[in-house]
Amino acid sequence: MGAIEKQRNILDFTLSSLGRRKGKNIALVVVYTFVIFLLASVLFFTHSLKKEAFLILQDAPEMTVQRLLAGRQDLIPTHYIDTIRQIRGVQSVAPRLWGYYYDAMSGANYTLMVNAELNDRAGEIIIGNGVSMRSMSGKRNQALRRNDIIPFKTYDGSVLTLKVRGLLPFASELVTADLILVSEADFRKLFSIANDQATDLVLNVRNAKELSTIAAKITQIHPDTRPILREEILRTYDAVFDWRGGVIFMVLSGVFFAFIILAWDKATGLSAEEKREIGILKAIGWETSDILLMKFWEGSAVSMAAFFMGIFLAYLHIFLASSILFEPVLKGWSVLYPSFRLTPYISVYHIATLFFLTVIPYTVVTIVPSWRSATIDPDSVMRM
Amino acid sequence: MIRLQNVRKVFNADKANEFVAIEGVNLSIDSHGATVLKGPSGSGKTTLLSILGCMARPTSGRIMLKEREITSLPERFLTEVRRETFGIVFQQFNLIKGITALENVMLPAYPNGEKHASLKKRAMELLDLLNLIGKAFSKVEWLSGGEAQRIAIARALINNPAIIIADEPTAHLDTRLSREFMEIMRQLKKEGKTLLIASHDPIVYDSTVIDRIVEIRDGKIVSSGDIP
Amino acid sequence: MLERKSDLFFSALVAGALLICLMFMDAAISQRLDREFVQERREVVRVLTLTDLCLFTEARYTRHPSMADLHTPFQDHPMSFDHFPSGAIMAVPPHLKRKAGTLQRWISDPRERQ
Ligand SMILES: Nc1ncnc2c1ncn2[C@@H]1O[C@H](COP(=O)(O)OP(=O)(O)O)[C@@H](O)[C@H]1O
Ligand SMILES: [Mg+2]
Repeated sequence: MGAIEKQRNILDFTLSSLGRRKGKNIALVVVYTFVIFLLASVLFFTHSLKKEAFLILQDAPEMTVQRLLAGRQDLIPTHYIDTIRQIRGVQSVAPRLWGYYYDAMSGANYTLMVNAELNDRAGEIIIGNGVSMRSMSGKRNQALRRNDIIPFKTYDGSVLTLKVRGLLPFASELVTADLILVSEADFRKLFSIANDQATDLVLNVRNAKELSTIAAKITQIHPDTRPILREEILRTYDAVFDWRGGVIFMVLSGVFFAFIILAWDKATGLSAEEKREIGILKAIGWETSDILLMKFWEGSAVSMAAFFMGIFLAYLHIFLASSILFEPVLKGWSVLYPSFRLTPYISVYHIATLFFLTVIPYTVVTIVPSWRSATIDPDSVMRM
Repeated sequence: MIRLQNVRKVFNADKANEFVAIEGVNLSIDSHGATVLKGPSGSGKTTLLSILGCMARPTSGRIMLKEREITSLPERFLTEVRRETFGIVFQQFNLIKGITALENVMLPAYPNGEKHASLKKRAMELLDLLNLIGKAFSKVEWLSGGEAQRIAIARALINNPAIIIADEPTAHLDTRLSREFMEIMRQLKKEGKTLLIASHDPIVYDSTVIDRIVEIRDGKIVSSGDIP
Repeated sequence: MLERKSDLFFSALVAGALLICLMFMDAAISQRLDREFVQERREVVRVLTLTDLCLFTEARYTRHPSMADLHTPFQDHPMSFDHFPSGAIMAVPPHLKRKAGTLQRWISDPRERQ
């Protein structure tokens, strides 16, 4: 009981003491909160994006087969389909036709993709939400709608006009923002792709356990191909965001260390006034350990306040304010980007990591340098 | 109560600016009396008080407190002894600025782990005793010299020490306030406290409160007689 | 009850911890509410045989990172710069962007030159 009461007493004094340099301490907490806010924002954002990618790409093609030519992906002859279908365990093989289209008017890159449902509706397209917002028709600041006509420039410079048949579901923007679905005939006409060629092949297998054996067999039969497994797709997204998050995290860690050095400097450069106070406390009966306890509470109070506020603000930022501060990074140089609201996925592990990476170092950094001042002889106070 | 045996204090030992502040001091202080350490400035009064009050260790010699040798106690126990036995009123008062008078008074008792409510009650009683109840929630930097000193006295009393130490308590007070201070000392003596005051102010050493005057000069005791 | 500063501090701590709990609760609720959209996206991915999230449309290897081969950097978008960590923290110099953009337009639409 006495021990708890002692802690509370010392904490009382610490808080009174902090309250004296209000402006300075508030400024400190604000800067510290901002650092934690940035770190937490990066963590929340990348984690949620990874989780989202993991969930929605569960139904991506089990295996995609590309053909490589001189180190670049190239069109794949459709007769590969027949040989691959022969492999035991392969359930179905289908060609995919897709590619990019650069629209000079809007400066945007679109992904053009053939969809079988449009095959008997040549001349029509279905567009993603991002495409509709980026008017290609020359009508500025106006979203594309059903029955709008869009001109496409074909491989030989002539113009092919296609009519908007509809929009892809709004909720799927995260995967479809830049998509333009076209019929096979239009796609081949646009890019002059022969009928016996496709962009790549997707296949389903009977037993997922056989995927790697089948992949090995495919590269054996067609050494110029590269199979990509769904598992690899899912792993790619983990890596891409780890990498991106990692780089940002590194930069932010730099900021954080700068902040720690600042705190260290502040703690080592205890003002004459603070040193005097420590002397007084010792002279009136505080032990060295009591002084350090006071410093511990000081560090904890500041860093806990910053920690909770930083985490909470980061949550609001990422999940309610659509990561508004990250926009320049996310948009990068792309003209077209999806607008989406991330589903919040947060993990206790991340919160704990942030806690141990911020609160603990800061507290240690406030305690350690005050050790020297805490061991001054109490009699020095007699001469002050 | 306290006995010093052949105490010597050297500052900056073995250096060019070595200085012997206290030399060969033998002194015995009894309970319930009021003793004044008298001597000119620089004679070693403050140094001797710090040694008596367990704030500094002598370079050589022994200190006995209630028949207990304390010279060799480790720092922690020394702090505990200091907190429980001595209440110190500093020459410059040494209050902590920016917090209230009440908090200043309670401060020495914080490490004891006493319940906050009872501690606060005791502090308020002390402030009441010293006529400071109205100043309890004032920041100490707004107090006058006399008030600040009485806060310092209240702070010295909060742990209910047996011995009160005061270093040049009247140095910053006018005559009226100095006499007032001595009246407070009289009160404390009556309550059974042992008083140890360093001063070269006649208001202090000529006061009827004082039982004994110890004269020091150049770090040595020149007379330690009782007042008849 | 809150006459002591330490009480205030501990209340603030509890409030902070509650806030974190609230965050987790909000996250759980949002996940439940969004389940149907996730399902829809998953369905779209399956039907259209998609392989990537549409996050960065600036280059082939950022639009379809999982489909990119090892040689794609520098080959895609006129404004693409590089594939390496420096690309994430360093922007393309504006003059380069403008020139490349003009060049691209010039290549794709000679009439614009007039
Ligand atoms: N920390 C110290 N280092 C060196 N000399 C000191 C120190 N403290 C006190 N002295 C010297 O010791 C002598 C006694 O000082 P002090 O006890 O303060 O005398 P008084 O209180 O009687 O004025 C003085 O000459 C002073 O300069
Ligand atoms: Mg002195």
